[in-house]
Amino acid sequence: MGTRIDAAFAQAGNGGRRATARRLADAAARNCLALAGRRPADVDMLINVGIYREDSMGEPALAALIQEDIGANLGHPPAGGSGTFSFDLLNGACGVITAVQVESGLLSSGVIRLGAVVSSDVQPDPENHGAHFLRSAGGAMLLRWDDSLTGFTDFSSETFPEYEDLFTSGLVWRKRSGIRVPRQGTGRNQMTVTVKPGYHARLADCAEEATRRFLTRVGMSIEDIDLLIPSPCAAGFLDPLRARLGIPGDRVAYTPEDLEGTHTTGPIAALQAAIKSGRLEEAQNTLLVAAGAGITVALALYRQTPP
Amino acid sequence: MAETTKTQPAHWLTLQSNGSGGPRGCRIESVGVKLPARRLTTADLMSRTSHRTRIQLERLTGIHERRVVGPGENSFTLATGAARDCLSHSHHQASDIEMLINTSITRSKGGSNQSFEPPLSLYVKQAIGATRAVNFDLSNACAGMLTGVFVLQDLVARGEISCGMAVSGEYISHLSWNAARQIRSIFSKQLASLTLGDAGAAVIVERAPDGAGIDVIGFTTLAEHSRLCLAFPSSVGPGAQMYTKSRTLHKVAIEDMAPLVAETIGEAGINLADIDYLIPHQTSARAIRAGTQEFVRQLGAKPKHVVVNLEEYGNTSSTTLFVALHKYLEEQKMRKGDRVMLLALASGIEIGIAIFTIDNLVDSYGHTH
Repeated sequence: MGTRIDAAFAQAGNGGRRATARRLADAAARNCLALAGRRPADVDMLINVGIYREDSMGEPALAALIQEDIGANLGHPPAGGSGTFSFDLLNGACGVITAVQVESGLLSSGVIRLGAVVSSDVQPDPENHGAHFLRSAGGAMLLRWDDSLTGFTDFSSETFPEYEDLFTSGLVWRKRSGIRVPRQGTGRNQMTVTVKPGYHARLADCAEEATRRFLTRVGMSIEDIDLLIPSPCAAGFLDPLRARLGIPGDRVAYTPEDLEGTHTTGPIAALQAAIKSGRLEEAQNTLLVAAGAGITVALALYRQTPP
Repeated sequence: MAETTKTQPAHWLTLQSNGSGGPRGCRIESVGVKLPARRLTTADLMSRTSHRTRIQLERLTGIHERRVVGPGENSFTLATGAARDCLSHSHHQASDIEMLINTSITRSKGGSNQSFEPPLSLYVKQAIGATRAVNFDLSNACAGMLTGVFVLQDLVARGEISCGMAVSGEYISHLSWNAARQIRSIFSKQLASLTLGDAGAAVIVERAPDGAGIDVIGFTTLAEHSRLCLAFPSSVGPGAQMYTKSRTLHKVAIEDMAPLVAETIGEAGINLADIDYLIPHQTSARAIRAGTQEFVRQLGAKPKHVVVNLEEYGNTSSTTLFVALHKYLEEQKMRKGDRVMLLALASGIEIGIAIFTIDNLVDSYGHTH
């Protein structure tokens, strides 16, 4: 008995004006529900893990807007009905795995029956080229309880704060210079992203260390892993990680070119590739690994074996 | 392929109770706050608006003053201060904390108005020495802290962790200053921004050895109304601006709250009159009074006491429930066996309700008075 991945869908933005974080997330959620043959009303919990939005909105949670857009249990709470609970979870590139951990637990407790994890990011500040570090994309995955397989069994999240300054991002107030124009703002909150040299190399170091510790904890070796679903998929991270772990290329889910460079959507993009190729279905033991700012490394073991 | 066999009883709320989760109970072990020393009265704030507004904010909301940050204070320092205060009331060490969730809307730190990555929770856990804790941030508007407790409750009940902390540092008064620059009349959508105050709060959730503690906790998102309160980075000054259709938001919330409260007390097997202290989200005294009257109209009962601390602190966003709980614990108003209902209301519209029984939590408070 365990949490099963019902469906996963990821799509890159086309760069047009309509590719806002909300619209990308909406489209991914709708497509994912269609893939699974589910209705929006079936979703008991919707967690958004996207970070970068065109408007950097602080509240409400973007998840609430997505819930409204896809039409999941809108209206007044009638007695005996069923609602949806939506919120945002922010853990950078590791957000998907953390959200899966939260929903997997609630599925196991019977608190929810169908959980959705939605992600999306767009270039946070089109005017600021220094903040261009990601490919706009949206993703969604659905999770449900299944009596016939083991599903997600173990999770881990490890931080390496000695590298916390290698990747930082935040809004900084910049006062507008020059002549003041009536009705124009006096400045703006500008997204500042700093990626220091060696970030990807340190990501690979930390991911290797955390993966080895995780496998030891769950009593497995790298030979037991049939499929590795990594994020990010950048060669500077993935190649050294794969080589050091000693996992052959045919046991790695590679993200297609059009979805390379996505941020929080990374794990869903790789997962979608594994589902499409049929490799997820064939794998008994699948390891999801994501690494990002912090440095944070999140891992999840997904087992398609009888319980 | 086997179908889903786990079914939850038909609730509108996503609900966890002592019976629905794992084998273990879950309790609130300690609560901590960090309030900035600087006070700002409503009269002072309203005297600094750019336009002559004629708004009688204090009469309208019941807010006399609020705390605002001084130099060097921000979301991070408030969250860290609250986490340390929480540990000072706890029998746990920082190293016992297995999960730390930062739940604030604002995430200012150092020169940044809003830190995105790494999550603020990483900095908080490093600052307090909770090096063993898994950390992440969670954002759910003013319902953030209670959402954090909701997440921790499931992990504790299933035995995945034995001790977790939800923390929030809200340096949110910049919304008031930005609103003060633009607001012209009582009909302004930025009116609610003038009610905000700064505060940090933290709560430790742990296994309840005897199964007591949190009886039930439930949440829902009434997303049809998700656009009634929106906050964005400001273009008139550092920080953010918030636009709220306050009347509509309160009307919807007051109408829909009662059936959700009925679900929660039904799950707990009690009557609303059995609640000793209702701690609602602190928006305005009028709205809280109207909500309580609606409970009487729809449910035929009301709690014994309704906690209102707006006069001193204003609306401290995601921390309001725990700032109020901490104050009542410190003033020794609550006693063992008292039943408390926390009622979160937030942009989304998010509604969260938790019912718990006061246990030896009270023993760690009141000695400073």
